[in-house]
Amino acid sequence: MQYEILSRPAASVAKLTLEAGESVTCEVGAMIAMSTGFDVQTTTRNKGGGGGIVKGLKRMFAGENLFLNHFTATQPNQTLIIGPGLLGDVIHYPMRGGTLVVQGSSWLASATGIDIDATWQGLGKALFSGEGMFWVKCSGSGDLFLNSFGAIYPVDVTGEYVVDTGHIVAFEDTLQFRIGKAGKSLIGSFLGGEGLVCKFSGQGRLYCQSHNPPSFGKLLGPKLKPR
Amino acid sequence: MEAEIRNKPSFANIHVKLAPGERIIAEADAMASMSSTVNMQTKWSGGVVRGILRRLFGSESMFVNVFSTDSQGELVLTQPFPGDIECIELKGNTLYLQPGAFLACESGVKLGLGWAGIRMFIAREGLFRLKVSGTGRVWFGAYGGIFQREISDEYVVDSGHLVAYEPSIRVRIGMAGGIFSSFFSGEGLVTKVRGPGRIYMQSRSFGGLAAWTNAHLY
Repeated sequence: MQYEILSRPAASVAKLTLEAGESVTCEVGAMIAMSTGFDVQTTTRNKGGGGGIVKGLKRMFAGENLFLNHFTATQPNQTLIIGPGLLGDVIHYPMRGGTLVVQGSSWLASATGIDIDATWQGLGKALFSGEGMFWVKCSGSGDLFLNSFGAIYPVDVTGEYVVDTGHIVAFEDTLQFRIGKAGKSLIGSFLGGEGLVCKFSGQGRLYCQSHNPPSFGKLLGPKLKPR
Repeated sequence: MEAEIRNKPSFANIHVKLAPGERIIAEADAMASMSSTVNMQTKWSGGVVRGILRRLFGSESMFVNVFSTDSQGELVLTQPFPGDIECIELKGNTLYLQPGAFLACESGVKLGLGWAGIRMFIAREGLFRLKVSGTGRVWFGAYGGIFQREISDEYVVDSGHLVAYEPSIRVRIGMAGGIFSSFFSGEGLVTKVRGPGRIYMQSRSFGGLAAWTNAHLY
Protein backbone atom coordinates (compact mmCIF):
# COMPACT_ATOMS: atom_id res chain seq x y z
CA MET A 1 0.00 0.00 0.00
CA GLN A 2 1.28 3.43 -0.92
CA TYR A 3 -0.10 6.59 0.59
CA GLU A 4 -0.08 10.34 0.09
CA ILE A 5 -1.61 12.93 2.44
CA LEU A 6 -3.19 15.88 0.66
CA SER A 7 -4.61 19.28 1.71
CA ARG A 8 -2.77 19.48 5.03
CA PRO A 9 -3.55 20.56 7.67
CA ALA A 10 -7.00 22.11 7.35
CA ALA A 11 -8.86 19.62 5.17
CA SER A 12 -6.51 16.64 5.01
CA VAL A 13 -7.29 13.40 3.25
CA ALA A 14 -5.23 10.26 2.69
CA LYS A 15 -4.94 8.91 -0.84
CA LEU A 16 -4.12 5.20 -0.73
CA THR A 17 -2.96 3.09 -3.65
CA LEU A 18 -3.45 -0.65 -3.25
CA GLU A 19 -2.28 -3.57 -5.33
CA ALA A 20 -4.54 -6.53 -6.07
CA GLY A 21 -5.14 -8.55 -2.92
CA GLU A 22 -4.13 -5.80 -0.49
CA SER A 23 -6.76 -4.49 1.90
CA VAL A 24 -7.28 -1.67 4.37
CA THR A 25 -9.76 -1.26 7.22
CA CYS A 26 -11.43 2.15 7.53
CA GLU A 27 -13.73 3.98 9.86
CA VAL A 28 -17.34 3.86 8.62
CA GLY A 29 -18.04 6.92 6.49
CA ALA A 30 -14.37 7.67 5.82
CA MET A 31 -14.44 6.79 2.12
CA ILE A 32 -14.60 9.88 -0.09
CA ALA A 33 -13.79 8.39 -3.48
CA MET A 34 -12.39 5.15 -4.90
CA SER A 35 -11.64 3.21 -8.04
CA THR A 36 -14.11 0.55 -9.14
CA GLY A 37 -11.82 -2.41 -8.46
CA PHE A 38 -12.54 -2.71 -4.73
CA ASP A 39 -14.43 -5.33 -2.82
CA VAL A 40 -16.09 -3.62 0.18
CA GLN A 41 -17.09 -5.61 3.25
CA THR A 42 -18.74 -4.28 6.39
CA THR A 43 -18.22 -6.32 9.53
CA THR A 44 -17.91 -5.93 13.28
CA ARG A 45 -14.55 -7.68 13.36
CA ASN A 46 -10.99 -7.09 12.28
CA LYS A 47 -10.05 -8.42 8.87
CA GLY A 48 -9.12 -12.08 9.12
CA GLY A 49 -11.24 -13.01 12.10
CA GLY A 50 -10.14 -11.20 15.28
CA GLY A 51 -12.76 -9.37 17.26
CA GLY A 52 -16.44 -9.87 16.75
CA ILE A 53 -19.45 -8.27 18.31
CA VAL A 54 -17.90 -7.65 21.73
CA LYS A 55 -14.95 -5.77 20.28
CA GLY A 56 -17.38 -3.89 18.05
CA LEU A 57 -19.41 -2.78 21.07
CA LYS A 58 -16.25 -1.76 22.91
CA ARG A 59 -15.25 0.28 19.86
CA MET A 60 -18.61 2.02 20.02
CA PHE A 61 -17.84 3.13 23.56
CA ALA A 62 -14.51 4.47 22.31
CA GLY A 63 -16.39 6.87 20.04
CA GLU A 64 -15.92 4.78 16.94
CA ASN A 65 -18.51 2.82 14.99
CA LEU A 66 -19.74 -0.69 15.75
CA PHE A 67 -18.90 -1.59 12.18
CA LEU A 68 -15.69 -1.44 10.18
CA ASN A 69 -15.32 -1.20 6.43
CA HIS A 70 -12.74 -3.41 4.73
CA PHE A 71 -11.63 -2.37 1.26
CA THR A 72 -9.85 -5.09 -0.70
CA ALA A 73 -8.40 -4.34 -4.12
CA THR A 74 -9.38 -6.93 -6.68
CA GLN A 75 -7.37 -5.35 -9.50
CA PRO A 76 -3.90 -3.79 -9.61
CA ASN A 77 -3.27 -0.11 -8.84
CA GLN A 78 -6.54 0.87 -7.15
CA THR A 79 -6.86 4.22 -5.36
CA LEU A 80 -8.97 5.04 -2.35
CA ILE A 81 -9.36 8.50 -0.83
CA ILE A 82 -10.36 8.61 2.83
CA GLY A 83 -10.90 11.50 5.23
CA PRO A 84 -12.63 12.45 8.48
CA GLY A 85 -15.91 14.38 8.63
CA LEU A 86 -14.40 17.26 10.56
CA LEU A 87 -11.91 19.90 9.45
CA GLY A 88 -8.42 18.91 10.50
CA ASP A 89 -5.26 16.96 9.93
CA VAL A 90 -4.45 13.38 8.94
CA ILE A 91 -1.16 11.68 9.71
CA HIS A 92 0.43 8.37 8.83
CA TYR A 93 2.02 6.30 11.59
CA PRO A 94 4.10 3.27 10.61
CA MET A 95 3.50 0.51 13.14
CA ARG A 96 6.36 -1.88 13.73
CA GLY A 97 5.14 -4.33 16.32
CA GLY A 98 4.53 -1.86 19.15
CA THR A 99 1.30 -0.51 20.54
CA LEU A 100 -0.20 2.93 19.99
CA VAL A 101 -3.02 4.22 22.19
CA VAL A 102 -5.32 6.44 20.12
CA GLN A 103 -7.88 8.93 21.43
CA GLY A 104 -11.41 7.68 20.76
CA SER A 105 -12.39 9.46 17.57
CA SER A 106 -8.92 9.87 16.03
CA TRP A 107 -8.60 6.42 14.45
CA LEU A 108 -9.21 6.69 10.70
CA ALA A 109 -7.85 3.59 9.00
CA SER A 110 -5.30 0.83 9.38
CA ALA A 111 -3.67 -1.94 7.42
CA THR A 112 -4.96 -5.46 8.07
CA GLY A 113 -1.85 -6.39 10.06
CA ILE A 114 -2.97 -4.06 12.84
CA ASP A 115 -5.28 -5.24 15.57
CA ILE A 116 -7.64 -2.56 16.91
CA ASP A 117 -9.32 -2.83 20.24
CA ALA A 118 -10.90 -0.48 22.75
CA THR A 119 -9.07 0.00 26.01
CA TRP A 120 -10.08 1.43 29.34
CA GLN A 121 -7.57 3.79 30.91
CA GLY A 122 -9.14 3.95 34.35
CA LEU A 123 -11.95 6.01 35.86
CA GLY A 124 -9.86 9.09 36.67
CA LYS A 125 -8.61 9.43 33.12
CA ALA A 126 -12.04 8.67 31.69
CA LEU A 127 -13.61 11.50 33.69
CA PHE A 128 -10.88 14.12 33.60
CA SER A 129 -8.71 13.64 30.51
CA GLY A 130 -11.14 15.57 28.30
CA GLU A 131 -11.11 12.62 25.91
CA GLY A 132 -13.56 9.73 25.61
CA MET A 133 -14.12 7.02 28.21
CA PHE A 134 -12.33 4.44 26.10
CA TRP A 135 -9.30 4.62 23.88
CA VAL A 136 -8.48 2.65 20.76
CA LYS A 137 -5.47 0.40 21.20
CA CYS A 138 -3.66 -0.38 17.94
CA SER A 139 -1.04 -3.11 17.89
CA GLY A 140 0.81 -5.07 15.23
CA SER A 141 2.54 -3.77 12.16
CA GLY A 142 1.55 -1.86 9.05
CA ASP A 143 0.25 1.58 8.07
CA LEU A 144 -2.00 3.44 10.47
CA PHE A 145 -3.87 6.69 9.73
CA LEU A 146 -5.08 9.10 12.41
CA ASN A 147 -7.11 12.28 12.21
CA SER A 148 -7.57 15.31 14.46
CA PHE A 149 -9.22 18.69 15.01
CA GLY A 150 -6.48 21.15 14.10
CA ALA A 151 -2.93 20.34 13.04
CA ILE A 152 -1.09 17.36 14.52
CA TYR A 153 2.38 17.84 15.99
CA PRO A 154 4.62 15.09 17.31
CA VAL A 155 6.45 15.34 20.64
CA ASP A 156 9.27 12.95 21.50
CA VAL A 157 8.91 12.63 25.24
CA THR A 158 11.93 11.83 27.36
CA GLY A 159 11.10 12.32 31.00
CA GLU A 160 7.96 14.39 31.48
CA TYR A 161 5.60 16.39 29.26
CA VAL A 162 2.33 18.21 29.97
CA VAL A 163 -0.68 18.20 27.61
CA ASP A 164 -3.87 20.16 28.18
CA THR A 165 -6.98 17.98 28.28
CA GLY A 166 -8.57 17.68 24.85
CA HIS A 167 -5.30 17.91 22.92
CA ILE A 168 -4.19 14.25 22.88
CA VAL A 169 -4.35 12.38 19.57
CA ALA A 170 -2.27 9.28 20.29
CA PHE A 171 0.72 8.03 22.23
CA GLU A 172 3.05 5.04 22.21
CA ASP A 173 2.33 2.71 25.10
CA THR A 174 5.89 3.14 26.39
CA LEU A 175 4.44 6.39 27.78
CA GLN A 176 2.07 6.64 30.71
CA PHE A 177 0.05 9.63 31.78
CA ARG A 178 -1.66 10.75 34.91
CA ILE A 179 -4.08 13.59 35.57
CA GLY A 180 -2.57 16.54 37.41
CA LYS A 181 -2.92 20.26 37.86
CA ALA A 182 -1.44 22.70 35.35
CA GLY A 183 0.14 25.18 37.78
CA LYS A 184 1.58 24.90 41.23
CA SER A 185 -1.70 25.70 42.94
CA LEU A 186 -4.97 23.89 42.21
CA ILE A 187 -7.15 27.02 42.45
CA GLY A 188 -4.82 28.93 40.15
CA SER A 189 -4.95 26.11 37.62
CA PHE A 190 -8.73 26.29 37.47
CA LEU A 191 -8.98 30.08 37.46
CA GLY A 192 -6.36 30.18 34.74
CA GLY A 193 -8.64 28.16 32.51
CA GLU A 194 -6.22 25.28 32.24
CA GLY A 195 -7.70 23.22 35.05
CA LEU A 196 -6.48 19.68 34.85
CA VAL A 197 -3.79 18.53 32.47
CA CYS A 198 -2.39 15.17 31.39
CA LYS A 199 1.16 14.60 32.61
CA PHE A 200 3.06 12.14 30.46
CA SER A 201 6.13 10.27 31.60
CA GLY A 202 8.40 7.67 30.07
CA GLN A 203 10.05 7.54 26.70
CA GLY A 204 8.20 7.51 23.42
CA ARG A 205 6.33 9.52 20.85
CA LEU A 206 3.21 11.52 21.57
CA TYR A 207 0.91 13.18 19.00
CA CYS A 208 -1.02 16.30 19.99
CA GLN A 209 -3.62 18.32 18.12
CA SER A 210 -3.21 22.09 17.95
CA HIS A 211 -6.89 22.82 18.60
CA ASN A 212 -9.28 21.73 21.31
CA PRO A 213 -12.79 20.48 20.41
CA PRO A 214 -14.34 21.22 23.87
CA SER A 215 -13.04 24.84 23.78
CA PHE A 216 -14.51 25.33 20.32
CA GLY A 217 -17.79 23.80 21.47
CA LYS A 218 -17.93 26.06 24.52
CA LEU A 219 -17.72 29.12 22.26
CA LEU A 220 -20.12 27.93 19.58
CA GLY A 221 -22.65 26.13 21.79
CA PRO A 222 -24.19 29.21 23.48
CA LYS A 223 -24.69 30.83 20.06
CA LEU A 224 -26.74 27.93 18.71
CA LYS A 225 -30.51 28.03 18.96
CA PRO A 226 -32.18 25.58 21.34
CA ARG A 227 -33.52 22.44 19.73
CA MET B 1 12.56 33.94 23.34
CA GLU B 2 11.97 32.02 20.14
CA ALA B 3 8.40 31.90 18.88
CA GLU B 4 7.16 30.47 15.62
CA ILE B 5 3.62 30.53 14.26
CA ARG B 6 2.87 27.22 12.55
CA ASN B 7 0.01 25.91 10.42
CA LYS B 8 -1.03 29.32 9.10
CA PRO B 9 -3.68 30.32 8.21
CA SER B 10 -6.25 27.61 8.95
CA PHE B 11 -5.09 26.18 12.29
CA ALA B 12 -2.37 28.59 13.40
CA ASN B 13 -0.67 27.87 16.71
CA ILE B 14 2.44 29.25 18.41
CA HIS B 15 5.48 27.13 19.29
CA VAL B 16 7.52 28.93 21.95
CA LYS B 17 11.01 28.12 23.28
CA LEU B 18 11.71 29.65 26.68
CA ALA B 19 15.11 30.24 28.28
CA PRO B 20 15.62 31.06 31.98
CA GLY B 21 14.42 34.57 32.81
CA GLU B 22 12.09 34.75 29.81
CA ARG B 23 8.35 34.93 30.33
CA ILE B 24 5.32 34.74 28.09
CA ILE B 25 1.87 35.80 29.20
CA ALA B 26 -1.06 33.99 27.62
CA GLU B 27 -4.83 34.12 27.63
CA ALA B 28 -6.52 31.57 29.91
CA ASP B 29 -6.83 28.15 28.27
CA ALA B 30 -4.38 29.03 25.47
CA MET B 31 -1.83 26.39 26.47
CA ALA B 32 -2.11 23.19 24.43
CA SER B 33 0.98 21.41 25.72
CA MET B 34 4.32 22.18 27.37
CA SER B 35 7.52 20.70 28.76
CA SER B 36 7.35 19.78 32.42
CA THR B 37 10.18 22.28 33.03
CA VAL B 38 7.78 25.16 32.26
CA ASN B 39 6.03 26.72 35.25
CA MET B 40 2.57 28.19 34.97
CA GLN B 41 1.33 30.92 37.27
CA THR B 42 -2.17 32.39 37.12
CA LYS B 43 -2.57 36.15 37.55
CA TRP B 44 -5.33 38.71 37.38
CA SER B 45 -5.39 40.21 33.93
CA GLY B 46 -4.21 43.80 34.45
CA GLY B 47 -5.29 43.89 38.13
CA VAL B 48 -8.39 42.77 40.02
CA VAL B 49 -10.83 45.49 38.90
CA ARG B 50 -9.76 45.40 35.30
CA GLY B 51 -9.87 41.62 35.35
CA ILE B 52 -13.48 41.63 36.53
CA LEU B 53 -14.50 44.34 34.09
CA ARG B 54 -12.86 42.45 31.31
CA ARG B 55 -14.82 39.33 32.19
CA LEU B 56 -18.12 41.16 32.55
CA PHE B 57 -17.99 43.38 29.52
CA GLY B 58 -15.21 42.21 27.31
CA SER B 59 -16.23 38.53 27.33
CA GLU B 60 -12.68 37.50 28.07
CA SER B 61 -11.16 35.69 31.00
CA MET B 62 -10.37 37.53 34.23
CA PHE B 63 -7.05 35.75 34.38
CA VAL B 64 -3.95 35.29 32.34
CA ASN B 65 -1.27 32.65 32.73
CA VAL B 66 2.40 33.51 33.03
CA PHE B 67 4.81 30.86 31.73
CA SER B 68 8.47 30.77 32.75
CA THR B 69 11.26 28.25 33.22
CA ASP B 70 14.28 27.68 35.42
CA SER B 71 16.16 25.61 32.86
CA GLN B 72 14.57 25.68 29.42
CA GLY B 73 11.34 24.51 27.97
CA GLU B 74 8.90 24.58 25.11
CA LEU B 75 5.21 25.29 24.99
CA VAL B 76 2.47 25.39 22.38
CA LEU B 77 -0.21 28.08 22.54
CA THR B 78 -3.43 28.02 20.55
CA GLN B 79 -6.87 29.59 20.21
CA PRO B 80 -10.28 27.95 20.54
CA PHE B 81 -11.37 28.37 16.90
CA PRO B 82 -9.68 27.58 13.58
CA GLY B 83 -7.94 30.57 12.06
CA ASP B 84 -4.84 32.66 11.70
CA ILE B 85 -2.53 34.24 14.28
CA GLU B 86 -0.62 37.49 13.79
CA CYS B 87 2.41 38.74 15.71
CA ILE B 88 3.11 42.46 16.21
CA GLU B 89 6.16 43.97 17.85
CA LEU B 90 5.28 46.96 20.01
CA LYS B 91 7.93 49.64 20.43
CA GLY B 92 6.19 51.97 22.85
CA ASN B 93 3.09 52.19 20.68
CA THR B 94 -0.43 50.98 21.49
CA LEU B 95 -2.87 48.64 19.79
CA TYR B 96 -6.53 47.99 20.55
CA LEU B 97 -7.78 44.41 20.32
CA GLN B 98 -11.39 43.36 20.01
CA PRO B 99 -12.75 40.97 22.70
CA GLY B 100 -11.45 37.43 22.24
CA ALA B 101 -8.56 38.36 19.94
CA PHE B 102 -5.74 38.52 22.50
CA LEU B 103 -3.61 35.39 22.74
CA ALA B 104 -0.23 36.13 24.27
CA CYS B 105 2.43 38.76 24.87
CA GLU B 106 5.96 39.21 26.18
CA SER B 107 6.46 40.53 29.70
CA GLY B 108 7.25 44.11 28.55
CA VAL B 109 3.72 44.50 27.21
CA LYS B 110 1.05 46.10 29.38
CA LEU B 111 -2.50 44.76 29.23
CA GLY B 112 -5.03 47.50 29.82
CA LEU B 113 -8.68 48.06 29.28
CA GLY B 114 -10.09 50.82 27.12
CA TRP B 115 -13.66 52.07 27.05
CA ALA B 116 -15.12 51.24 23.66
CA GLY B 117 -18.44 53.01 24.14
CA ILE B 118 -22.12 52.16 24.42
CA ARG B 119 -22.55 52.16 20.68
CA MET B 120 -19.91 49.46 20.26
CA PHE B 121 -21.72 47.46 22.96
CA ILE B 122 -25.01 47.76 21.08
CA ALA B 123 -23.22 46.55 17.98
CA ARG B 124 -22.15 43.56 20.08
CA GLU B 125 -18.49 44.46 19.78
CA GLY B 126 -18.10 44.68 23.58
CA LEU B 127 -18.22 47.63 25.95
CA PHE B 128 -14.49 47.48 26.52
CA ARG B 129 -11.60 46.77 24.27
CA LEU B 130 -8.24 45.41 25.24
CA LYS B 131 -5.43 47.93 25.08
CA VAL B 132 -1.93 46.54 24.63
CA SER B 133 1.00 48.89 24.99
CA GLY B 134 4.68 48.95 25.96
CA THR B 135 7.49 47.05 24.32
CA GLY B 136 7.56 43.47 23.13
CA ARG B 137 5.70 41.07 20.93
CA VAL B 138 1.93 40.59 21.04
CA TRP B 139 0.10 37.68 19.41
CA PHE B 140 -3.55 37.90 18.50
CA GLY B 141 -5.81 35.48 16.71
CA ALA B 142 -8.83 35.51 14.48
CA TYR B 143 -11.51 33.19 13.18
CA GLY B 144 -10.47 32.91 9.53
CA GLY B 145 -7.58 34.66 7.84
CA ILE B 146 -6.19 38.00 9.00
CA PHE B 147 -5.70 40.84 6.55
CA GLN B 148 -4.59 44.37 7.26
CA ARG B 149 -5.18 47.73 5.66
CA GLU B 150 -3.73 51.19 6.01
CA ILE B 151 -6.63 53.65 6.31
CA SER B 152 -6.16 57.26 5.29
CA ASP B 153 -9.75 58.54 5.54
CA GLU B 154 -12.87 56.45 6.08
CA TYR B 155 -13.42 52.72 5.57
CA VAL B 156 -16.30 50.36 6.28
CA VAL B 157 -15.95 46.92 7.93
CA ASP B 158 -18.85 44.54 8.58
CA SER B 159 -19.53 44.09 12.30
CA GLY B 160 -17.68 41.11 13.77
CA HIS B 161 -14.82 41.37 11.29
CA LEU B 162 -12.65 44.01 12.96
CA VAL B 163 -9.92 42.36 15.04
CA ALA B 164 -7.41 45.06 15.96
CA TYR B 165 -6.62 48.70 15.22
CA GLU B 166 -4.21 51.46 16.11
CA PRO B 167 -5.32 54.14 18.60
CA SER B 168 -5.27 56.81 15.88
CA ILE B 169 -8.27 55.03 14.35
CA ARG B 170 -11.69 56.31 15.35
CA VAL B 171 -14.40 53.65 15.35
CA ARG B 172 -18.11 54.26 15.15
CA ILE B 173 -21.13 52.15 14.30
CA GLY B 174 -23.21 52.96 11.30
CA MET B 175 -25.58 51.51 8.81
CA ALA B 176 -24.25 50.03 5.60
CA GLY B 177 -26.62 52.07 3.44
CA GLY B 178 -30.06 53.57 3.95
CA ILE B 179 -32.58 52.07 6.38
CA PHE B 180 -34.01 49.71 3.76
CA SER B 181 -30.81 48.36 2.30
CA SER B 182 -29.18 48.14 5.74
CA PHE B 183 -31.85 45.73 6.92
CA PHE B 184 -32.45 43.75 3.77
CA SER B 185 -28.97 43.56 2.30
CA GLY B 186 -27.85 41.29 5.12
CA GLU B 187 -25.20 43.77 6.16
CA GLY B 188 -27.15 45.50 8.96
CA LEU B 189 -24.81 47.37 11.25
CA VAL B 190 -21.29 47.99 10.09
CA THR B 191 -18.22 49.45 11.71
CA LYS B 192 -16.99 52.71 10.25
CA VAL B 193 -13.34 53.40 10.88
CA ARG B 194 -11.60 56.68 10.25
CA GLY B 195 -7.85 56.97 9.82
CA PRO B 196 -5.06 57.61 9.56
CA GLY B 197 -3.88 54.26 10.92
CA ARG B 198 -3.80 50.54 10.40
CA ILE B 199 -6.61 48.05 10.98
CA TYR B 200 -6.65 44.24 11.09
CA MET B 201 -9.67 42.32 9.88
CA GLN B 202 -10.69 38.65 9.89
CA SER B 203 -11.99 36.91 6.79
CA ARG B 204 -14.83 35.15 8.67
CA SER B 205 -16.85 36.06 11.74
CA PHE B 206 -17.81 33.73 14.56
CA GLY B 207 -21.32 35.17 14.55
CA GLY B 208 -21.48 34.23 10.88
CA LEU B 209 -20.55 30.63 11.69
CA ALA B 210 -23.24 30.48 14.39
CA ALA B 211 -25.87 31.89 12.02
CA TRP B 212 -24.88 29.45 9.27
CA THR B 213 -24.91 26.51 11.68
CA ASN B 214 -28.29 27.51 13.09
CA ALA B 215 -29.72 27.69 9.60
CA HIS B 216 -28.53 24.17 8.83
CA LEU B 217 -29.58 22.40 12.03
CA TYR B 218 -32.52 20.06 11.74
